[in-house]
Amino acid sequence: MFEQFTAGARVAVDSAHEEARLRGDRRIGTEHLLLGVLDVPDSVAVPALGVDLATTRAALDVLDRAALAAIGIDVEGVERPPIPVSRKRTPFTSGARSVIKRTVTEARGAGSRRIGPDHLLLAILACERPDPAAELMAHLNVDPAAVRASVKRLSGTGGQAA
Amino acid sequence: MESGDLSESLRSHDPAVGLRAVGALHRLAEQTEVAAVARARQQGWSWEQIGDALGVSRQSVHAKHGK
Repeated sequence: MFEQFTAGARVAVDSAHEEARLRGDRRIGTEHLLLGVLDVPDSVAVPALGVDLATTRAALDVLDRAALAAIGIDVEGVERPPIPVSRKRTPFTSGARSVIKRTVTEARGAGSRRIGPDHLLLAILACERPDPAAELMAHLNVDPAAVRASVKRLSGTGGQAA
Repeated sequence: MESGDLSESLRSHDPAVGLRAVGALHRLAEQTEVAAVARARQQGWSWEQIGDALGVSRQSVHAKHGK
């Protein structure tokens, strides 16, 4: 599945896995993939999205706390140690699998044989609410169309090789 | 991004909010378990006592939390 992924795109997927583990999520979702592309060094994601990894992580936590607050649970000040690593492998959500498939289309569209982190970001941008990455981007006031244009500009027409 | 304001605007019947809350509750339950088990061990509880309190076997609680 990841044979055509560049080193940078692999970093993004590995980071997504790590983000899911850190949060205690049992599957790798599109929101983790979004965090993953933001973790790629020198990636176009940070300038194109206009947010960094720490801000995006914090925004996801705000959404979670708001959802808990909506059902009457206040987790302010609650001790939240890291959850032990499960021995089971962490599968992708179906939404995340769709994003991974869409990276191929994005790379082809950009005329690139290899799939880079910029193509992964473009595939994530196509997510629509209630997809979790789309919810997170909406919360961050990210405009997918504007980011798409920035990615194309920043990575050049041939797509980023890194 | 004040969570109070946001939760106010979300206090609707939006299923996305309810479903997100379920996921957050799962994680919160796990985190609370980690903290509580660690404290129980520090205070000398046996794995059997902790397992009984959690409604699981001594073996499964030890496999999960024993180092």
